[in-house]
Amino acid sequence: MDKSTQGRLEAAVEALIFASDVPVAASRIVAVIGEVMAEPAPDADAITQAVESLNARYDAQGHVLRIRHWAGGYRMTTTAEMAPLLEVFLRRERRRKLTLPLMETLAILCYRQPASRPDVSHVRGVDADYALRKLLDIGLVDVVGRSEAVGRPLLYGTTQRFLEEFGLPDLDALPNLRGIEELLSDPSFSQEKARLFMLQGLSGATEAEQP
Amino acid sequence: MYRVKLRDFDGPLDLLLFLIQREELDIFDIPIARITDEYLTHVRRMEAVDLDGVADFLLLAAYLISIKVRMLLPKPAPEASDQETEDPRLALVERLLEYRRYKEAAERLATIQELRAALYTRGSASAPARAEPQEVLINASVYHLIRALRRVLTEAPEAPALVIRARDCTVEQQQQFVIKALTVGRDLEFSRLIRGRNRIFVITTFLAILELIQRGLVVLVSTAFDDDFVLALGASGG
Repeated sequence: MDKSTQGRLEAAVEALIFASDVPVAASRIVAVIGEVMAEPAPDADAITQAVESLNARYDAQGHVLRIRHWAGGYRMTTTAEMAPLLEVFLRRERRRKLTLPLMETLAILCYRQPASRPDVSHVRGVDADYALRKLLDIGLVDVVGRSEAVGRPLLYGTTQRFLEEFGLPDLDALPNLRGIEELLSDPSFSQEKARLFMLQGLSGATEAEQP
Repeated sequence: MYRVKLRDFDGPLDLLLFLIQREELDIFDIPIARITDEYLTHVRRMEAVDLDGVADFLLLAAYLISIKVRMLLPKPAPEASDQETEDPRLALVERLLEYRRYKEAAERLATIQELRAALYTRGSASAPARAEPQEVLINASVYHLIRALRRVLTEAPEAPALVIRARDCTVEQQQQFVIKALTVGRDLEFSRLIRGRNRIFVITTFLAILELIQRGLVVLVSTAFDDDFVLALGASGG
């Protein structure tokens, strides 16, 4: 790809991502460029490269814009340093954090999805009805199907909006759930006991639980 | 609209973890009798205030007691069964650890969300933040609420500035009222009969008129108006 072609591709990518109010998938960018521009349509890798190149340029030139990979697409944002300014400008209250029960329910769902209400309730030992409904309201989770278990309970999973809200490209980008083994090596637990315990019963479970 | 959360703890497992950590107990060798007692003490206090909210806690209470019972039972002879030699606390510890994992995951998610919230996108200005019902979090324990309740209950109610006594009128009273009014005033519009009166008065008067018409004591003279009528004493009323 010669220099001017690369330049035109970057310009097109920049324009599309700038104009969008939602994350734009690379495949969508490819399709639009293919439809409009005379040149052979780029592939998704070329888009990724163009984005990287744009970000490098923004950084080098001290721009406050960056293109992020969120929810399976690209989204243009300001840098974190600009947050105080924008917060005041938009007169928006600092985004309200989710309450602890909601965050815990969301965490369980993230790693266990698709999960039914009884699944989620069991982990916290609290009926998840209220928390799930609230998360549904906010749009962070959605019904994704029905379980084959008795009563065919609804299965819940996280949404694209969740990924965007938490700035994640996809679910694989979630931080690893700390394995039980790692948890046990925490100094707050007695290591000696932990090892004994592992030998006794948890070893089987640990292997199954490791993400 | 406030949703009042009466418990400090985010659920039974949260409470149990707290108790274990507070007492600096070894999670792998939980003194089950002691922790059950402490747990139940907490639950009873909650129960006194919020019976609904305590339901989730009772389930675990029952479970703790069942573990306690199993630990008191004599262990079966080793050769009897290999399965039964498992520590009855094992399943509980597994659940506690599992819960702790997600509790930690929730903390990390909160951090991620906070970092993300510092990045602004286009459209932030045009699309107003969705009006999400806001939970008002008051840092208060059950005791604050009990104290507040006690204050409300013990404080003598202030003398009201004005006492309005309901003067209820009955249909019978209103029948007499209508007859009297018609005797004095001859033909009268309904609207004049009830001018400036309260709702109860209007309704009972209306019912009284219906009754009087049925008994022939009062007649409708005119219904020229869509929203009013004129009354007069009936023939039998004299």
